Amino acid sequence: MITIPYKHKMAAHCESGSITSLLNNAGLDITEPMVFGISSGIFFGYFHKMKSFPFPTFIVRNKPGKMRENLTKRAGIKFHTYTFKDPEKGRQMLNRLLEQNIPTAAQVDFFYMDYIPSWERVHINVHFIVVVGLNTYHYLVSDSYFPELVSLKTESLNTARFAGGNMSPKGFLFHPEFIPKDIDYEKAIIKGIKKSCFNMLKIPIPFLGVKGIRLFAKKIIEWPSLARDTEHLSHEIMKINILLEDQGTGGGGFRFMFATFLQQAAGMINEPELLDFSKKMMEIGDGWREFSLLAARFGKNRDLGPERMKELSEKLMDRAQVEQQFFSQLYKTIK
Amino acid sequence: MTEIPSAELKMEIKKLIMNTLNINDVNPAEVDDELPLFGGGNKLSLDSVDALEIIMAIQRTYQVRIADQNLARYTLRSINSIAEFIESEKAKQHPETK
Repeated sequence: MITIPYKHKMAAHCESGSITSLLNNAGLDITEPMVFGISSGIFFGYFHKMKSFPFPTFIVRNKPGKMRENLTKRAGIKFHTYTFKDPEKGRQMLNRLLEQNIPTAAQVDFFYMDYIPSWERVHINVHFIVVVGLNTYHYLVSDSYFPELVSLKTESLNTARFAGGNMSPKGFLFHPEFIPKDIDYEKAIIKGIKKSCFNMLKIPIPFLGVKGIRLFAKKIIEWPSLARDTEHLSHEIMKINILLEDQGTGGGGFRFMFATFLQQAAGMINEPELLDFSKKMMEIGDGWREFSLLAARFGKNRDLGPERMKELSEKLMDRAQVEQQFFSQLYKTIK
Repeated sequence: MTEIPSAELKMEIKKLIMNTLNINDVNPAEVDDELPLFGGGNKLSLDSVDALEIIMAIQRTYQVRIADQNLARYTLRSINSIAEFIESEKAKQHPETK
């Protein structure tokens, strides 16, 4: 039986939460919003037609894995990563790391996290947990979505690590390998902010960043023609609320986290103007939450006529407008 | 230090929830302070859309923000947990009054 001493903490999001938790337990004093901000986690992308998605969808954060990579580039923190073709080799490696007392993050399909009530579990291949112990039948897990350490059946974790489908985890594991003694936070924060502004404003692809929010605003009008029937449309419109508010923290939540990052950064790099940006970003998060609630109400009441779609579209155009203004001003300030 | 939430605050929260969700057929006094508000035996039976309505009503009324869904999940467990959250956030905003 192995139990690695580990300080568990809940977090706003599984990936930034598991990275922060591993770093904290390795002795680095860093917050989840700081990890999120330095690694330019804030993002937007709208996908109207993609092979892997049967209906249009969107993302409100950068690609899974990017946070860790960006943290390495900007703060010099190195992670050891592993993927496996053979599930048995993947299982053996995790057990070996635990035997060496190394808390290890694993990418899993959220559906198999059987300590979460069944009605909350859906198949998402990009959930992250930290494994901190093992006995004959169970792993001991730190999941940032849960208030305390939990036991997970060994077969559930093995299945979750090698689930198939879109963005399958392939047994992916990571743990910190090197943490610099003196991180240049000023440099890392400024790079994180600049790249966030670039991602939201300047990527020359019409469905990413603020352009993606505008495209979403235009295309949502077409959603009724893409849905099979009212029930299907209602389900897809309700999913806006789930993507924004429930899964992976959501648009409102990620915007609130970026606001907290700016607030903390203001003190760390002595840039008081960032406090005003932090307040503005909180308001932007509130605006996303209002949009999310509107979509949820329309979906729940099956109130999905053309005028309602237009209302949602206008709200999204507002979101695009305020984010365009916000990131343009932030970029000028930090330049 | 956070004070134990008052009975008045808990009653206020029950009324706020019922007004926000237009619930007219439940007596606020019959809503249990400790039983789960979502899917579990309380007089109020709420869903995830209701949760978002409540989060925003709490923010408007008490000027406290529940910024992420994990926090929301645990804050909105019961009337008691909502009241404790409001008291604790208020204490952070006005530490000199404690």
